[in-house]
Amino acid sequence: MKALVATVISLALTTVVIGNAYYQKKQFYPSIVYLTNSNPSMAVMYLQAFILVLLLGKVFRRIFFGQLRPAEFEHLIERSWYAITETCLAFTVFRDDFNPKFIALFTVLLFLKAFHWLAEDRVDYMERSPVIGLLFHLRILTLLTLLTHADFFFIHHAYQFTTSKGPSVQLVFGFEYSILLIMIINIVIKYTLHTIDSRWEAPWESKAAVLLYTELIINFLKVLLYIGFVAVMVRIYTLPLFAFRPMYETMRSFKKAYNDVVLSRRAIRNMNTLYPDATAAELAAADNECIICREEMHSGAKKLPCNHIFHAACLRLWFQRQQTCPTCRLNVLRAPAPDTPHAPDGVQPGNVPLVNVPLGNVPLGNAPLGNAPLGNAPVGNAAAPPPAPNVVPPPFPNMPPPPMMGWGLPPPPPRPASLATLSAAELQRMEGHERRNIEARLQLLREIQAMLDASVLLMQQYSAVVANLPQNSANVATQTDTIVNEPTPGPAPVQVKTEPEIAAGTSSATPSTSAAPPTASPAHTQHTDVSSSDNTSLHVDREPKTETDADAEELRRRRLQRFTTAK
Amino acid sequence: MAGSALRRLMAEYKQLTLNPPEGIIAGPINEENFFEWEALITGPEGTCFEGGIFPAKLIFPPDYPLSPPKMQFICEMFHPNIYADGRVCISILHAPGDDPMGYESSAERWSPVQSVEKILLSVVSMLAEPNDESGANVDAAKMWREDRKQFNKIAEKLVRKTLGLPSP
Ligand SMILES: [Zn+2]
Ligand SMILES: [Zn+2]
Repeated sequence: MKALVATVISLALTTVVIGNAYYQKKQFYPSIVYLTNSNPSMAVMYLQAFILVLLLGKVFRRIFFGQLRPAEFEHLIERSWYAITETCLAFTVFRDDFNPKFIALFTVLLFLKAFHWLAEDRVDYMERSPVIGLLFHLRILTLLTLLTHADFFFIHHAYQFTTSKGPSVQLVFGFEYSILLIMIINIVIKYTLHTIDSRWEAPWESKAAVLLYTELIINFLKVLLYIGFVAVMVRIYTLPLFAFRPMYETMRSFKKAYNDVVLSRRAIRNMNTLYPDATAAELAAADNECIICREEMHSGAKKLPCNHIFHAACLRLWFQRQQTCPTCRLNVLRAPAPDTPHAPDGVQPGNVPLVNVPLGNVPLGNAPLGNAPLGNAPVGNAAAPPPAPNVVPPPFPNMPPPPMMGWGLPPPPPRPASLATLSAAELQRMEGHERRNIEARLQLLREIQAMLDASVLLMQQYSAVVANLPQNSANVATQTDTIVNEPTPGPAPVQVKTEPEIAAGTSSATPSTSAAPPTASPAHTQHTDVSSSDNTSLHVDREPKTETDADAEELRRRRLQRFTTAK
Repeated sequence: MAGSALRRLMAEYKQLTLNPPEGIIAGPINEENFFEWEALITGPEGTCFEGGIFPAKLIFPPDYPLSPPKMQFICEMFHPNIYADGRVCISILHAPGDDPMGYESSAERWSPVQSVEKILLSVVSMLAEPNDESGANVDAAKMWREDRKQFNKIAEKLVRKTLGLPSP
C-alpha cells in the first residue's frame, strides 16, 4: 500500500516536472537541457528512477521467487543496508567520476546483488523444504542463467574498459561482479548437490563432506580476489575501506571452513584408526541403540574414549559439525588418544601419564628409581609407550665417553611388582587379562632397566666431569691470562681529550720497556688503557711502522704541541 | 534422502504418542511433512502461566538431529526468553558454535542426544523460571526483574487469551 502511494506520488511529481519543462521550452532538446540544469528537477527524476528500479525489482522477485519467506526478506534488508553503506563509502573514493551513469551502474550492481542473495537463500532452503516442484527448478535455473550472463557481461565490460582507458571505477565493478560470479558457482554447486540428494533414496553420506570442501574452496577463491583487489586499489587509488567488511567476513568464513575441514578430518581419522569397534556385549549394554539416529546397532559401531557407542556412519556425520562425544561432550580431539584396540577395557586414559613419571628423573641421575614406577604402573598401559630413554641427550655432548663402561653401580636387578599396592578393581582386571598384564609388566621392566642404564651412564659422565673440573678451570684461567697479555695493536687514544692525556703523553715521552704492564699511579687509574696502548705503540715503534701507527704518532705529536703552546 | 532424519523424527513421534510427558502434546502438523511440528504446551502449575495452553511450531532442519530444530510460539507471548515474534531462545536450541547470547556453557547446548521431548520439557521449565540474562525480550526481562506484579498481570491476560476467554 505504502509502495503504491509512493509510486503514484513520484509519478505525479515527474509528470509535473516534465510537463513544466516542456511548457516552458516547447521543444524536446531545450526541455532536456532545462531539466538537467535544474537541481530540483533532477532530484525528482532520481526519485522517479529509484521508484522504478524498486518496482522492477518487485516484478522480478515475483517472477523468480513468488512470495518471499519472512527470513529471506529480513536477510535481504539487512544485506542491502550494508551494501548501500559500502557503496556510499565507495563514492568517496571515486567522487571525481560522479555522474548519472556512475550512479546508474551502482544501482544496477545493487539490484543484481539482491537477486544473488535471494537465489542463495532459496537454494539453501531447498534442503529443508519437503516438496520441490518443477516450478522451483524452472525459476532457479532461469534466474541462475540470467545472473551468470549479467555477471559475465559486466566483467567483460569492466575488463575492456580498463584495458582501453586505464584504471577507473570499472575496477570496482569488475571485482564486484567476479565475487558475484563465484557466488553463482557456489549456488550452482549447492543446487546440484541438493537436487541429486533429493532424487536419491538412500541417505547420501558424503554430501556433507562435499559441501564442506566446496565451502573451503569457494572461500579461498574469494579471499584471493579480495586480497588482489585491495592490493590493486592501494596501488592506484587509496585504501578501499568499502571492501573491508566483506573481506573480513570472507576471511573469517575461510578460516572457519578450514578449521572445520581439518578438525573433522582429524576426528574421523581418529575414529577410523584409534577407536575400537564395539563388541557385542558392549552393544547390549547400550540397549543396541544408537543415540544419534535412534536405530539399532548391529555392526559398524565405534566406541569413543569415553566408552560411549555410536554408529560409525552417524559419528562421521556428527564429527563434520563438532568433534565432541554427543553424549558427554568429551572433546575427542583434545582427549588423550585411547589405548590401542587391544587394550583392556575400562582403562581410563587418565592413567597414562603415570608411566612417564620416572622419565623426568633420569637426567638428574637418580639411579634407584625402580620402585616408583613398579608400584604405580597401572596394568595394561603398555600401549602408551614411554619415550625411549636412550633418546635423552647427554648433558655434555662434547665429553669423551667415560673410560670404563663397567665402572660404578651395576644396574639393580628388576623387582617384581607388589600385588598389595594394587586396588581390588585393578586386581580383577589383572585376572581378566593375565597374559597381557604380564607382557605389559615385562615390557615395563625392560624399559626401567634401560632407563637405569641410562642414568648410570649419566652418573659416570657427571663424575668424569667433576674429575676433570679443577684441571680444566686452571687451563681456562691461564688461557684468558695469555689473551689479556697479548698486545693489542692499533691506536686507541685518539678520542681521549681529558686530563689524564697529559699523563699519557708524558708517559709516552719517557721510554719504558714495553712488556711490563704500566704501574697504575693514581693519575693513571682512570685511563690505564690509554697508557697501555701508548706502551704498545712504543713497542710497535721498534718494528717497521705501519701507516696507521705513523698517523697516530703524528696526531699525538701535534696534540702535545698544542698542549705545550697552551701552557 | 528421506533418510535418517525422517526415520528419527518418526521414532520420536511414536515415542511421544506412546509415552506423552505431562502437559505436552506434539506431532507433525501434517503427516506428509515430518519436518514441521506443532506442539501444545500447558503452562506449568504454580507459575503465572498456569492453566494456559500455548501452541508452538517446531521446524526441523534436514540434517536433524545433527542440527537443532527451531521453535516458535504461534500465540502471543511475553517472556524474557521469547522474542516478540515467538521464537524461543534457550540454550538447548543452539549448537555450541553459535552463541547469540554469549552466556551459555556448551554443556546444555544442542547435541543429537537431545530430543523433541527434552526441548519441550526445557521450554516448560523456561516458562516457570525465566532466565533474565537472555535478552530475547528486554522489556519482559526488565519487567520480570523489577515489576513482577505487572508481569504476572500480563501473563494472566495471555493465559486467558490462549483459552479463548475474554480479558477480565
Ligand atoms: Zn546411528
Ligand atoms: Zn561420551
